[in-house]
Amino acid sequence: MERQEARLAWLLVLPALAIIVLIALVPLLWALWESFHLHDLRMPWRGQPWVGPANYMEALTEARFWQAAGHTALFIVTSVTLELALGLVLALILHRSYRGRGAIRAAALVPWVMPTVVAALVWRFLFESPSGVVNMLATELGFMEQPFVWFIHATAAWVPLVLADVWKTTPFVALLLLAGLQSIDTTLYEAARIDGAGPWRQFTSVTLPLLRPALLVALIFRTLDAVRVFDLIYILTGGGPGTATEPLALYTFHVLFQRLRFGYGAALSVLIFLLTFALALIYIRVLGKDLLRPGA
Amino acid sequence: MRTALLGAFATAALTIAACGGQAPRGISISFPASAVGAEAEVLQHQLERFMRNHPDIQVVQRKTPDAADQRRQLYVQWLNAGASDPDILQLDVIWTPEFAAAGWILPLDPFAPKVEDFFPATVAANRWQGKLYALPWFVDVGMLYWRTDVLTHPPDSFADLNRQATEVRKRDGLSFGFLWQGARYEGLVTVFLEHLGGFGGRILDEEGRVVVDSSPAIRALTYMRDSIYRDAVVPAVVLTWQEEQTRFAFQNGQAVLMRNWPYAATLLQNRDESRVAGKFAVASMPATPDGSPTATLGGSQLAINSNSDHPRAAYAVIVYLTQPEQMLERAQLVGQYPTRPALYASEALADALAVPPAQVQQIIEHAVPRPVTPVYAELSDILQIHLHRALTRQQEPAEALVEAAQAMRKLLADAGLTQAKHPQHGQGE
Repeated sequence: MERQEARLAWLLVLPALAIIVLIALVPLLWALWESFHLHDLRMPWRGQPWVGPANYMEALTEARFWQAAGHTALFIVTSVTLELALGLVLALILHRSYRGRGAIRAAALVPWVMPTVVAALVWRFLFESPSGVVNMLATELGFMEQPFVWFIHATAAWVPLVLADVWKTTPFVALLLLAGLQSIDTTLYEAARIDGAGPWRQFTSVTLPLLRPALLVALIFRTLDAVRVFDLIYILTGGGPGTATEPLALYTFHVLFQRLRFGYGAALSVLIFLLTFALALIYIRVLGKDLLRPGA
Repeated sequence: MRTALLGAFATAALTIAACGGQAPRGISISFPASAVGAEAEVLQHQLERFMRNHPDIQVVQRKTPDAADQRRQLYVQWLNAGASDPDILQLDVIWTPEFAAAGWILPLDPFAPKVEDFFPATVAANRWQGKLYALPWFVDVGMLYWRTDVLTHPPDSFADLNRQATEVRKRDGLSFGFLWQGARYEGLVTVFLEHLGGFGGRILDEEGRVVVDSSPAIRALTYMRDSIYRDAVVPAVVLTWQEEQTRFAFQNGQAVLMRNWPYAATLLQNRDESRVAGKFAVASMPATPDGSPTATLGGSQLAINSNSDHPRAAYAVIVYLTQPEQMLERAQLVGQYPTRPALYASEALADALAVPPAQVQQIIEHAVPRPVTPVYAELSDILQIHLHRALTRQQEPAEALVEAAQAMRKLLADAGLTQAKHPQHGQGE
């Protein structure tokens, strides 16, 4: 009887399992298989021979790959730090009760609702031309004497990129943190006040420790998103000038869809997958411990 | 439910019957082409005329994207899959060797085309391993647009260009001296090629070896960089500009000189929108004594899919579309330049073009193809990145070109294109 039920249970989950295998596992294994082959759509005369780890070796010895990895890391660190800091401030503001709070909360979410491509186009428009909005404002207010071409400087080109990402995703971080703030028992603040803690002490001793799980969730989401950053940079700088703002995902896209090198591109995809997977594991380790601790 | 289904089947059956009734013609040829604008209309007219003359052949237009990169990706995917459709391919001049080496398009020599009627450079660009793989449909060339209201003659050397542009810019208060396309894309390579030729350099030599790190090349790239940052003749913003941004600035009367393709001439002559209508002319790019004036060759070619079921009929369509009458009509309606030199003496062409045909013909005769190699797209990609790095001062020109040359040599070696100049074909074409 029990056995029969178990069999029925397996039968019932079978379709779901099959779908997961089909849409998650099969493509992954296929990419893995491709990554050990030379497969260049553009040069059919080279065939599709097994090349062992050659594609991985190429990636790991390719300067552009390491530069792209560096750009990805830079983007993660700057954008996620800013987003967490600003998101916390925004969450604290949204958490207070005042008139029109509902409307303000809705308005704060607008950037996050906007499609990334549209947001990226708007930011490019703001920064692009010498007579663009940013240059006009900066020269008008006396910050700069002459209009500045942001997108031809290897360093300055990061400014619109990071700004656009911070503008776009800070509301998302704020939303996560707001939920965390609302779960903090208000009596804790009363107790702290009675013990003579000022607003800053209340923030550092009550709010921050209790907000830690929410902060970690926000950190995970944002980091994993930033590892895969593609559309924003594709539209804003295209990875330029040269390849000065090219992240891993854009490099992989370029190899796969512009140079049509499927084998090498698959190897790059697998590397990105491993990187994301490793990051997720580390976070789950850290976060899991924290969340599973009773009373957290 | 059942009746709804039956209804759907009935409609489908009727549709199929209707289509079948419309196509009693023997052969159907498909032709991927632009889906929008005047270009699509001209083609439509011409194909209709063709079908009236050839009742046994039906030509179907396949709508494809206008953006070159997207169109190429689509072709590569179709052809890799061995599709017999589309029968005819409209190729950018730089794709012919790529498609020929892959065995995706048919050699046209068995049809005995009269190649001597076309500009030699346009025919050369369509040859691979001595065989002809496409016929030139219309030709594009890089040209120097100069303002006849502020200059007395076009610059004859790069030094002269810098001097004139600087003087006039100061005297007449124009915003920009010289404009070209400097964003990181194919356009940058075409602009570089024109400077390169002017300094006597090349990308590949006759043997197909990479020589883009030679001293003329370094001088050319250094000159391009210096004209931005040292001489302030070229504004730094061109490093983010493609054709249209340069055309808008020139059209608004903000620049003394501009490098652009022929399409701009037609638009610049439009008095409603252009402030420089009637105030500009075209010339060849300048050169140093070591080089010669150079124009990058562009344009569209027509080729036949190797897997086409009806190559003979497809060739008949290509021959029809490349006839003088069709070329003149294209020139008239969309301003595209014929690939037949004989037409440049005709009155009809003089009426059709925004600039004198004799000037255009002279520039086309200076036109050089980009490297004719199956891996051009990859070579260009390497060049684009390194040129852009040098021009945005992330690298010295010499360093950038040496790195580019190394990467290009590795690419050619990997593709099997160095020792034997020709790739080995896995299967027969």
